[in-house]
Amino acid sequence: MGGNSGEATGTPDPVEKGYATLNTIRIGVKAMVQKDGELRKAEILSIKQRKDGPSFYVHYVDFNKRLDEWVPAARIDLSQEVEWPQPEKPDKKKSGPANKAPSKNAQKRARADSREVSGTPDALGGKNLNVGKAPRPSKAGGKENREAQTPGDASLFPSEAASAAGDDDVEMADATPAEPKEPKEDEVKTASGEIISREEEIERLRTGGSMTQNPTEIHRVRNLNRLQMGKYDVEPWYFSPYPESFSDVDMVYIDEFCLSYFDNQRAFERHRTKCTLVHPPGNEIYRDDNISFFEVDGRRQRTWCRNLCLLSKLFLDHKTLYYDVDPFLFYCMCTRDETGCHLVGYFSKEKDSAEGYNLACILTLPQYQRHGFGRLLIQFSYELSKREGKLGSPEKPLSDLGLLGYRQYWLETLVRLLLEPGKEAISENELAVATAMTEKDVHETLVVYNMLRYHKGNWVIVLTDYVIDEYNKRLEKAKVKGERKIDPSRLQWKPPVFTASSRTWNW
Amino acid sequence: MTRYGGLGRTRPKKLTSKASIPIVREDEIDALEDEIQASLQQIETGVEKAEESEFHLQVAINATAQGKVNNTHIPTPETILSNLRYDELYPPFFSQPATYIRFSSTVEDCCGCPYNMTEEDDAFLKVFNQKRDPADRCSEDAFEATMNFFEETAQTKQPYAAVDNPPVLPFSEMEEAMDAAVEESVKHFAKDLYDHWKSRRSEGGGNHMLQPSLKFETGQDTDDSDPYVCFRRREVRQIRKTRGRDAQSAEKLRRLRKELEDSRQLVALVRQREVARREMLINERLIFLQRAEVKEMKRKLGVKDDDEDLINQKVSMDTGSDNEAQLTPTQPKKKTMDLPPGQRPNAPQLRLPLKPGLQGAEDLQLLEDVQAEKENAIANDIKANIGKHMRWNEGFVDLTRAPLSPSPERPFDTASFRPAFTAQLPTPPSSESSGDVETSLDVTSPLLSKDRLASRAMELHEEPHRLPSFRRRVGRGGRLLIDRRNFAARCKIEMDPIKSDRFKFDQEDSDDEPVYETDKFNIQIMQHRAATWFKAREQNNAVAQAHAQAQQAAQAQARRLQGEQAGNSGSNPGLSSAAASSVPTSSEA
Repeated sequence: MGGNSGEATGTPDPVEKGYATLNTIRIGVKAMVQKDGELRKAEILSIKQRKDGPSFYVHYVDFNKRLDEWVPAARIDLSQEVEWPQPEKPDKKKSGPANKAPSKNAQKRARADSREVSGTPDALGGKNLNVGKAPRPSKAGGKENREAQTPGDASLFPSEAASAAGDDDVEMADATPAEPKEPKEDEVKTASGEIISREEEIERLRTGGSMTQNPTEIHRVRNLNRLQMGKYDVEPWYFSPYPESFSDVDMVYIDEFCLSYFDNQRAFERHRTKCTLVHPPGNEIYRDDNISFFEVDGRRQRTWCRNLCLLSKLFLDHKTLYYDVDPFLFYCMCTRDETGCHLVGYFSKEKDSAEGYNLACILTLPQYQRHGFGRLLIQFSYELSKREGKLGSPEKPLSDLGLLGYRQYWLETLVRLLLEPGKEAISENELAVATAMTEKDVHETLVVYNMLRYHKGNWVIVLTDYVIDEYNKRLEKAKVKGERKIDPSRLQWKPPVFTASSRTWNW
Repeated sequence: MTRYGGLGRTRPKKLTSKASIPIVREDEIDALEDEIQASLQQIETGVEKAEESEFHLQVAINATAQGKVNNTHIPTPETILSNLRYDELYPPFFSQPATYIRFSSTVEDCCGCPYNMTEEDDAFLKVFNQKRDPADRCSEDAFEATMNFFEETAQTKQPYAAVDNPPVLPFSEMEEAMDAAVEESVKHFAKDLYDHWKSRRSEGGGNHMLQPSLKFETGQDTDDSDPYVCFRRREVRQIRKTRGRDAQSAEKLRRLRKELEDSRQLVALVRQREVARREMLINERLIFLQRAEVKEMKRKLGVKDDDEDLINQKVSMDTGSDNEAQLTPTQPKKKTMDLPPGQRPNAPQLRLPLKPGLQGAEDLQLLEDVQAEKENAIANDIKANIGKHMRWNEGFVDLTRAPLSPSPERPFDTASFRPAFTAQLPTPPSSESSGDVETSLDVTSPLLSKDRLASRAMELHEEPHRLPSFRRRVGRGGRLLIDRRNFAARCKIEMDPIKSDRFKFDQEDSDDEPVYETDKFNIQIMQHRAATWFKAREQNNAVAQAHAQAQQAAQAQARRLQGEQAGNSGSNPGLSSAAASSVPTSSEA
């Protein structure tokens, strides 16, 4: 995310460029880095020393943070000029993003900045080379934003990005990641044993003061190396505030049922002999042949929900764990087998959303992604809204995968309605009521897919050939594979009612 | 909500959400490509601004714009199958219930001891157990429980250990914390395991928790910027302070305090009771042992008596029930019931239920006995009353036309009163007996009678002693008279409220001066009486012929009597019968 705001704002500040050596490269420098056979601009977020030289944690500009990785010095191209991080110029920085951002954001950023400035000096006595950089305010702005209304969760991540084209996706996935696999291999190696030295380095930096790592930068670096959960080894995507010492170990073990975390295999195995939980600790509200949904109250199951949030933060960039989980309900989707109900994904929902959001955070665990579970989660969230008699929309911001997943669901839902035989005209409001989507989402989906057009002085909804083709393809595939969808008649659920006092914090 | 479409420069109509929009296929309209981009620009993606420019997302979004939605893919890191021994760690014991699962236990409830052993602990425990007697080895569970006890105690006593790094808690303080709730095994091993815990606690210097924990807010300034601090408590919304709310809160607190106090007292009392019970058991055992001794002695010494000293005599209870029996012979039930609190003997353990074998023969009471006793009491009472009447009338010549007391030749014979009901019926009687009842109740419709029976049965149930009964006797001049007792209830049922109001104040007068009714009934009765006398005189002349007639007349009168009574004062049935035929009202026992 670091460089992005700079790019997005059109870099209002002149960038200082120059040649660098391995010794002069520091955190914040943007350099060209070898990636998948091409050079990409990347920002250095962390440096650590190894026996065979320094290793750099880089963020590729204009790529999602989940692709950030540790690279050896050899992959940095020092034959080109690098961009130096900007010295601290708080005023300019603030004005930069604010220019483009809506006023609301700007305001919040200002708030965030003031807070951070006050916080930094205690945290580290060193120089704040990175403090004034553009990315931090915008990041903090995001956090503040959530804090204001829905502190628990912010980011959306419907797992299966382009669910409809499962097959095509898989092919794509096979085609492109062929190369990424290698660097990943690399990364595992480098990462193991390395992180310890990073901690040491931070310690060294604190005392020696040669370089500064601002604490706000820590969370930009993935802190866990690998995750063992259920039958799978999972690679974390983002930072999550697990205990700090967890970044020292190669593997963190997650109990698949209680989601407790262990940095020691023996301890984890001991725990397994004692743990009796075999499903999410809540009430089952939906069951069909494949999946079950459990409703878990953040207030009554504080530990479990915290564990869940820590876990999901590993895969949700914009989720914040700043505040506690009390005001949320967690709807957990599980597959069943003889060992229990295995968590596949979940979404959280505010007990009382002032903005009318029907979903705060959504995640399909990476090991289950690209199987259509994300769409089931989305559909389920709308089924709940229908039961409540409300129109709903997911909380913003969406993640990239979240956006694609939602657009896909919205389109298919609308097209199914529009294709109903005998339907000749319909209003956006009717569409919204039938789908529990907000009118805004209905309208925007129609526009995005170029279905709402102005034709000869009248508005028309155009079912484009492409849309119909896609829809039919999906129907066919559903026939072959058996479509997974939520059957509303199997939902045993009444909208829970909470008193004001039980919603807000109290112990 | 408005957008500008293509079509030259004209401003398109505003589109409202309620407006019905025709649905068409693409081939039905002309393609207008230039409007696409214009409208697309205005739609916000909802993605964080800084991330909208990301390469893979842009590819996907642009593909959408060009009408190729699904051929895009955002790469994500891979997951692989683990080489963990999954089947060992996750045993296949789950069986799905038929109904939806409902569950409220927390993670803490389900995870047992929160401390989990590490390899280091394993190594230590192995060495530790090798040195010990096989019978006295520390199990893994006991080890974990002990370590957990240390950790929890340390956490309680040094809640800010992570911040100010105090010296590791000494064992003496650990010992202090051992209360009744701590398991025996923990107490047993604590001393031996303490050094291990201490060394682990201070590994690498300092004083840190053995199991890594999340970082929660500490109230310091650094909290805000520390990305590891999570799950902060929310600011409490300020509630407006009003007097009413203050009072409400105070009241709540008071109530809470009272409830807690109540439950505390309850527990204290339960404890007291249990202590007393234990004492009693001890005493009983002592008694038993001593009796056994006595028995032995008796055998040895050849003492032969009734062995009364070998069984419980229920001293206090026997005297109590004897007194009761004298005072209230009609309440034998009391014997089997607990004594009222006031009469409780001082030593409660002595009057706890004895063994059924011992008690049975003495306490067993037959229902017949009880009933007979009750009936005897009633009969005695009646006899006593009759005797009283006769004593009153001694030396007097009875000149009244309607003597209050029965004539001596015809003493009140209780046996000749037939009870209307022989049993108390909780439910309406069977058809056989209901037939009898109907005749006596003078009912008009069976439906009504059923209701009455029900209500009557209920009344009877309430007043079991007041069984209505009646008898037939032949009066002067061969009149047939029917005497009734305890018909008050029925009259209550049948009484007209207006008429009953009329007689509301008649009761007291009736004692001093038997004022006969001066209403129309009286005249009729007089006429009737005259007719009867006339007939009776004739009867003397022609006895055989008149006998049948008299019977008819008497029956008619009886019927009339009942009809009359329906109209007459229900609260004083004796009055009406006296007025009608001078039937003496039996005194009620």
